Order: sequence, then C-alpha cells, then structure tokens
Amino acid sequence: METLLHDLRYGVRMLRKSPSFTAIAVLTLALGIGSTVAIFSVVDQVLLHSLPYPDADRIMYVSQTERGGNELHYASSPANYLDWVAQNHVFSVMAASRGWQGNLGGDRPERVRLSMTTASLFPLFAVHPMLGRGLESEDEEPSNDHVAVLSYGLWNRRFGADPGLINQSITLNNETYTVVGVMPSNFLPDGYGELWVPSPWGVPSHPLVPSQDPRQFRDRNYLDVWGRLKPGVTQHQAEQEMSAIARRLEKQYPDSNDGIGVGMMSLQDSVVSDIRPVLYVLLAAVAFVLLIGCTNVANLLLARSSGRTREISIRIALGAGRRRIVSQLLTESVLLAVAGGLLGIVIAAWAVPTLVALGPSEIRDYGNIGVNLEALAFAVVVSILTGVLFGLAPALHASEGKVSDSLKEGERGSTAQRGRTRTALVVAEVALSLILLIGAGLTVRSFVRVLRVDPGFDASHLLVFGVGLPPSASADEQDRFYRQVAEKLETLPGVQSAGAVSRLPLSGGNSGRSFKLPGSAKDYSADIRVETPRYLQTMGVSLLKGRYLDEHDIAGATPVIVVNEAFTKSVFPGEDPIGKYITDFGPGMDKLQIVGVVGNVRHVALEAAPRAEVYLPFGQAHWTSAFVAVRTKTSDPLALVPAVQNAVWSVDKTVPLAGVRTMQDLIARSLVQRKFTMTLLAIFAALAVVLAAIGLYGAMSYSVSQRTREIGIRMALGAQKKDVLKMVVGQGMGLAAIGVAVGIAGSLGMMRLISGLLFGVSATDPVTFILLAMVLAGVAFAANYIPARRATAVDPMVALRYE
Amino acid sequence: MIQLRNVERSYKTGAGATYVLRRINLDIQAGDFVTVMGPSGAGKSTMLSILGMLDDGWAGEYHFLDHAVHKLDRKKRADLNRQYIGFVFQSYHLLDNLTVYENLDVPLSYRNVSRGQRASMVAEVLDRFQIVGKKDLYPSQLSGGQQQLVGVARAVVGNPKLILADEPTGNLHSSQAKEIMELFKKLNDQGTTIVQVTHSEANAAYGNRTIQLFDGWIANDPKNEPVPNTTASIG
Ligand SMILES: Nc1ncnc2c1ncn2[C@@H]1O[C@H](COP(=O)(O)OP(=O)(O)OP(=O)(O)O)[C@@H](O)[C@H]1O
Ligand SMILES: [Mg+2]
Repeated sequence: METLLHDLRYGVRMLRKSPSFTAIAVLTLALGIGSTVAIFSVVDQVLLHSLPYPDADRIMYVSQTERGGNELHYASSPANYLDWVAQNHVFSVMAASRGWQGNLGGDRPERVRLSMTTASLFPLFAVHPMLGRGLESEDEEPSNDHVAVLSYGLWNRRFGADPGLINQSITLNNETYTVVGVMPSNFLPDGYGELWVPSPWGVPSHPLVPSQDPRQFRDRNYLDVWGRLKPGVTQHQAEQEMSAIARRLEKQYPDSNDGIGVGMMSLQDSVVSDIRPVLYVLLAAVAFVLLIGCTNVANLLLARSSGRTREISIRIALGAGRRRIVSQLLTESVLLAVAGGLLGIVIAAWAVPTLVALGPSEIRDYGNIGVNLEALAFAVVVSILTGVLFGLAPALHASEGKVSDSLKEGERGSTAQRGRTRTALVVAEVALSLILLIGAGLTVRSFVRVLRVDPGFDASHLLVFGVGLPPSASADEQDRFYRQVAEKLETLPGVQSAGAVSRLPLSGGNSGRSFKLPGSAKDYSADIRVETPRYLQTMGVSLLKGRYLDEHDIAGATPVIVVNEAFTKSVFPGEDPIGKYITDFGPGMDKLQIVGVVGNVRHVALEAAPRAEVYLPFGQAHWTSAFVAVRTKTSDPLALVPAVQNAVWSVDKTVPLAGVRTMQDLIARSLVQRKFTMTLLAIFAALAVVLAAIGLYGAMSYSVSQRTREIGIRMALGAQKKDVLKMVVGQGMGLAAIGVAVGIAGSLGMMRLISGLLFGVSATDPVTFILLAMVLAGVAFAANYIPARRATAVDPMVALRYE
Repeated sequence: MIQLRNVERSYKTGAGATYVLRRINLDIQAGDFVTVMGPSGAGKSTMLSILGMLDDGWAGEYHFLDHAVHKLDRKKRADLNRQYIGFVFQSYHLLDNLTVYENLDVPLSYRNVSRGQRASMVAEVLDRFQIVGKKDLYPSQLSGGQQQLVGVARAVVGNPKLILADEPTGNLHSSQAKEIMELFKKLNDQGTTIVQVTHSEANAAYGNRTIQLFDGWIANDPKNEPVPNTTASIG
C-alpha cells in the first residue's frame, strides 16, 4: 500500500516533469476514447439493445411479399390480415395500423400524424399508458369509436402536459373525440403516430374511403402489421406457418392473392435496417481512430522508455527488484490511461447528444441515449493495455539478462529493435488514417454527386406544405377544395403559380397501383399522383410531348392522364404514347387516355432511379390529403407564409397547414442521413490525420533527438543544412510512403464494404485515392519538416563533445 | 595558410567566463606539419575545432588561405571545412549505424564527387589502411584501435589540403602509430598541411614544428617569442 502510494506520487511527478509528452498522450487517448464511446453508445442503443418494449425481440413486423420480390416493406391488406389473425397459432397477438394525417382543431388548427390502429396494438407492445388507458376492443364499435390516445409528444407540445386532459374532448377532423389515454415518450410502435384512434370495424379503414367497411378489401394494401411470437415459437416456425396460410389464401383468392406470400422480420431490424450499415461503418471508422490513438501512445511510451533503458539497467545492476521496477512503470502507464479515459468521458458526454441531434430520425427516435458504460470500460481497458504493453517493454527488456549488454553498449542494440517497432507503428498509423481519409473522401464525393442530381423539378422559389379536409368530406368537396386552394393562392401578389398534388417528391410517401393495357392481361404498375392544373408547371417539371392537364380535365370530361418518361420507356418503348389508353387503374378508372408526357422526377430520393408515374386530375381521380406547391416571385418563399395561410383559410378556416417549408429544405431533409455519415466520417478522418501527424511528428522528433550526435558528426564531416534536412525529411517521408502504400492497398479492400453508401463514384475511384494520398503526404511532410528544421540547428561542437 | 590573431575562447560558467584559449597568435604555412602538445585541459582540442571551422564561439581574427574566417557566417565556414579540411576526432566519432565502408563514404557524399569516383576513392583508402577485410563491419564490431584507424582514414579520404588530427594514435599500438605517422609524413611531403595533437614525443618528431599549449596560452612556439607576460601586462 505504501509502495503503491509512493509509486503514484513518483508517477505523477514523472508525468509532470514532461508536460508535453503527458499532454499529447492524454489528449490522444481522450480523443480516441471519447469518439469511440460516443459512437458505440449510439450503435449499442440503436442496434444492439432491444427496443424499449418488454421482450421486444419477440415482436415481428409482418408483411405481404410478392413472388420474385424480396421487399419486406410492403403493406398488407385488411382481409388478409383478418385471415392471418384467425388462422395462425404462432402469434399470441397481432395488430395492424395505418398512418394518415388529420386536422386537430382548436385555437390553432394543426395537422397531426394520425394512426388508426387495432386495439391489440397496446397489449402487443405491452407498454403501459402514462395516463388513462390504451385502446380497447369496445372502442372498435362504430358507435364507440370516437376516442383517442395521445403520444407524449403531442400531449406535451399541444396540451402543455395537462394531466387533467383525460376524458376531455378534442376536435379531430371536425369531429369530437374523447381523450382516453396518454402514452409514454418511448412508445413509438409505428414510428409515426402522434395520436391513435380505434378501427371501427376491428381493422383500420382505407384512408381514401374511410367510411367504407374495409374487411373485404383483399387487394388494397395499406396496413402495417405486427405479431408477438408465442412463448417457445421461433421466427422460423412462425415464418413457416404464415407461409402455409398465405398459400391457402392464394388458392382461395387467386384474383387478388396470386403470388402473395408473407414475410417477417424482427421489429428491431425493421426499424434500423436502413441505418445499420451506416452505424457499422461509423463504428469501424471510430475503431480506427482509437487504434491510431493507442498507436500514438505506444509510440510515445516506447520513445520515452528508450531513454530510460540505461537507468533501469543500472538500477537492476544495483539490485533493484524487477517487481519494483515493473510496478513503477505500470503505475505511470495506468495513470496516463486513466487521465485519458476521464477526459474521454467528458468528450463522449458532450459528443453523444450532438450526434443524436445531428443524426437522422431513426437515431433521434431513440430519445435519451446516454454514454454507454460498457463502451467506456472497453475503451479504457484497451488504452490501459496499450499503456501496459508499451510502457513495460523497457523493464521487461532490461530484466531479460541483457543488463550487461545495455550497460556496455549504451542503448544501441535495444534501440534498433525498438526503432523497428516504432517504425512499424508509424507506418500503421499513416495507413489507417489514409483508409479513413479515403472513406470520408468517397462519401463526400458521393454527397456532391447527389447534390448535383437533377431532381426533375426546379426547387428554388418553391414553398410547399401539406393540407387536407377531414375524411368526412365528400370526394367532390375534397377535389373542389384542392382546386380552390390552388386558384386562391395564384391570386396572391408574389405568387407566380400554385398547384396541389397527392404525393410530393422527397416528402417520404409514395403510392403505386397496377394497371393493364386494353386487350391485354399483362399487369403493369406505376406510381399514382393526383394533381390540380398547373401543379407540374409550378414544380417546373418539363413537358416532353402533348399537353399538361388543365382546367377542362374535370369530373365528367374524358378521363385523361399525363405520364412520365420512365413510364413511356417501360410501357411503350419506342412508341408514341400520346392517345393511347390504360385500364384497370383502380375502381372506376377504366379507360384513361394519355395526353401528355413529362420529364422524370426523383420522387423517392435523389439517389433513387426515377419510377414510372401517372398523373391524374383531381375530379377524375380522388385523394384525401395533398401537398401544395407555391412558386413565389421572391427569393425568400417563407416571407409569403402568412399570406399563404390566410389564402387557405379563406377557402376553409378550419384547415391547418402541415410542414410549411421550402422545397430546398425538403431536399436537405432527404439528405440528412447521408450528410450525417459524411460529416462524421470527415470528422473521424480529420481526427485520424491529426493523430497520425502527431505520431509522425513525435517519432521524427524523437529520432532527431536520438541522432543529435550523428547529425553533429555529419555536419563536422561536411554535411550542409540542406543535406541534414533532406536526410531527416527523407527518412520520415520514406515511412509515410510505405504507410500510404499500405493504406491504398487496405482501402482497395475496405472501400468495397462501404460501396452501398456511395453514389455516382466507384469504391476504388482513382481520383479520390490519389488526391487524398497526396493530401496525407503533404501533412506528413509538414510533420517531418519541423523536426528536420530542428535537426539543422544542431551545433556540431555540442553534439561532438558529449557522447 | 593559417593566421590566428588574438584568438580567444571562453565558456560561460556560473559566475562569469572561463577562458580556455587566450590571445592565440599562430601562423601556419602551407606544407607545414605542426604538432600541438600540452597537458590535458590545455585547450588543444578547442584550438583544433576552431581551426577546423567547427566552433563559432571564439573572438579574434582568423585568416584561412585568403578568407577572413572571423567575418564569415556559419554556412561559409562550413563550406571551407568541406572544401579543404579533414578532421580526425579525439574520440573517433564513427557513425554507429553505418559500416566501415559507408563511414568512409560519408565525407565524399557531401562533396561534389561522382558515385564512381567515390567508390574508387574509398577503395583506395581501404587498401592504404589495410582494412579492406573490415569494410562491411559496424564500428561496434571493431576494436578501439581499429576504430581509430577508420577515423583517420575517413579524414584523409577526400584528399584534404589540411588535416587536423586530434590524438590520432591515442589508441594504437606503436607499430600502427608508426604507420599512421609515416602516412602523414608522406601526405605532408606531397603538400598536405597537417596539424596534429599528441602526447607522444615520438609522433611529434615527425612534424617540423611543435607548439606547446599551457592553460590556454601558447607557451612555446619556435616561430614566435613566448608572449604571456608581456600581453598580460598590457591586458
Ligand atoms: N562546453 C564546454 N563548457 C565549459 N567548458 C568546456 C567546454 N568544452 C571544453 N571546456 C573546457 O575547456 C578546456 C579545454 O578543453 P580541451 O578539450 O580543449 O582540452 P584538451 O587540451 O584537448 O585536453 P585533452 O588532452 O584532455 O583532450 C577544459 O578545461 C574543458 O573543461
Ligand atoms: Mg583534447
């Protein structure tokens, strides 16, 4: 105990005696530990830990599949869902929901994300309401269904977290609902709802025909479905039984269910499958940073210990016990690691919330992500091991019976050996940082490429928002409403044109339908958009052939459609589609004539290939919610928001506007995840390069200090400053060159792993590789140049006098 | 070739300055073979370093050939060193990481000598010193005497006009010492100027003039009157 205290005191003294060594070592470790822990905390929470539901790993996301396809994010139909519920023996409970938007009335009408769900959703996720109750089966009677459960977010934001809200009334879509419960903040079953309402027929109704009994709908797919596995049932068993049910339904309902199967994945996977590769890449990147940090510390310790080999040898020769010396060095290394770890915690504690704020919604939805203690322990242990390994090297070396050697030869023999280790470490650092740099470079280039993608419309001067009438409004009322809103907006000074559409590009939703050509049984499919006249002009979507839809395309007139280029390519390759017809595009949409062809729009994402699209006019087709696009004459579209709001309210004063923003903002939002990845990788790469530069600088400084005598002799023998400069820089750049070569080889292998995150640039893009190798070489040169300059200042007299 | 006028060298010590060389006046003609003798600590090595342009911390005037060294900066002095001077260090100062061959090549690598010419110059010196068999060994694999031999060889490899040798035979046995001295004699006969520091009367006998250095003063130089007392009274 007394020895330990003594060791501690002595260790602190030694560290304080060389403050720059201590500072660099602690800072290096702290950056490595801090960033590793921060990223690991996020990854752990999002990927490894289960969702905040009891036995969350038993919850499956269930969906229809299409033969030949492997896409699980497919919605299911109500009739199929009801059959699954009735026939399966593998799930203890199943639930279905569908999201839509609704108008929450009051002083400030607000458009909220509304989820219509089966009451079973609440027992399935097994989360207790914070206030009141969840939905129950009595609520599913059409006479009883005007009850709502609020999310914590809506309750807090909109109702000031009023605990007395239970049993109070709220106005939803112009109807009165009673609030029966409030859910805690971690209840995000469908990642969507702000408000849950029951399904009057025991299964959610179709959002476009909400007043119709949906129980017979077998070919309308709009439900998200979950099931909780019965105890003892595996996912595989469940898959088998559900597939058997699907095959039965296929036989029973060949019209609608031909080729329709059932698939499932764990809720966890369904939530994080998009973000997972990103997080793994970031985890790998940050592991590199930690590795480089440890390498730096190893190098520093090795350099330092070289200077002490002699001291230790003398001590051993004088009879010091090996254990005393080992414990002394150990104390010092551990002190360093602990100091680095403590500072690392501070960095991580700051970095985790920053990461979460910066991140895409999948990460933000996890709410309170804290610093992960296991990760912290892991990082500190790794750095302690590094310290121990390299801090002890001289002690072990000295006590291996080589005392006389190192006394006699000074430090020559062991120095050479340690020199090689240090060289290898520096090479490794340069290589690792180049790999990171190239990874970051490729994602940055991808990002630039994505930004350069032509979305197919002109995003400048565009204001967009969502709007909709309550589902109780008739189809006519709705269609008229959207047209009136658009017309009213066009009368505003400052507005060039305006239009409404059922699905706005990059707004996160899509709807597709199948259709046929007259006289053919072949099935085609295309995305459906319902629009008012001049929506396409407002967006700046180019007309390639024929005409846009206009004021004359109304209910009762000849049913007409406009299609896009992708549609023409896939349905009428090499033909002129104008005047041709499509049929069976939905109930009552039988003979639709193509009157125009417009350019492609990147609807799903800027990176995603354009899809076949069909535009129909409101009136001839019908949709219960819409987005409005307003092309303004001013450079700041947001300045028009009050006027736009009043214009909408002059048509219907109960209707709220949702998500009012510029189109450019919408594009930016669609790029959040890509930007997140890019920013983090760039930060890590920069960190890695800085650490590698410190490492190189440290190694070369040490080498110069070790070579003072040699440099002095060389100068006495005629070496000029430039010779010395060349020699030292040459040595360092030689190491850097090997590191760069290894790094390029490593990158060629590693970059394939991130090719999924890249866009428009090859994983082995030579420009990126060469450019960044040169950047790193430049940094290496700077890191070499400073110690080299110092070497030229060696006074041969001083160097020669003392050996 | 060399004229020192009132050259002084001092080191700062705790209280003030300690003088290591005082009022050195010395003339050396091209072709001289000068021996510097004196007790340990007299300042012999210090004087040699000044002559060899390795040291800058002195005051006074130093003319080398037609250069006023006291007016030159470090770079110019280094140029003179490289161009004219070969130096044998008292403690050899071989480069540990280089072989004997590479050690001999180092001074040539800093002069404008072509690669092929360097190889033949090194080969010639290895031959002359009969250390061809040792050319691939490292200094640590040589005895002290052998190291010294390499140190001398390295000083002469570039055919310098002036050889400054600080106890070049301190670690050699007499027959080896004799060979070195014979070599110096031969080089001197061919026109090389030599200044050597030695404790050995036998070595001194090879030179044509011996200077006695005592506590930083030139106590005896056959070409000059001893000056300490007179200058002391002036100073
Ligand atoms: N850097 C220094 N700082 C202070 N004093 C020094 C320094 N270098 C040399 N001296 C002193 O200068 C004096 C002369 O040293 P020098 O090496 O010239 O002696 P020397 O005549 O060559 O002796 P030896 O025969 O032992 O080689 C010595 O007293 C020495 O202590
Ligand atoms: Mg001496």
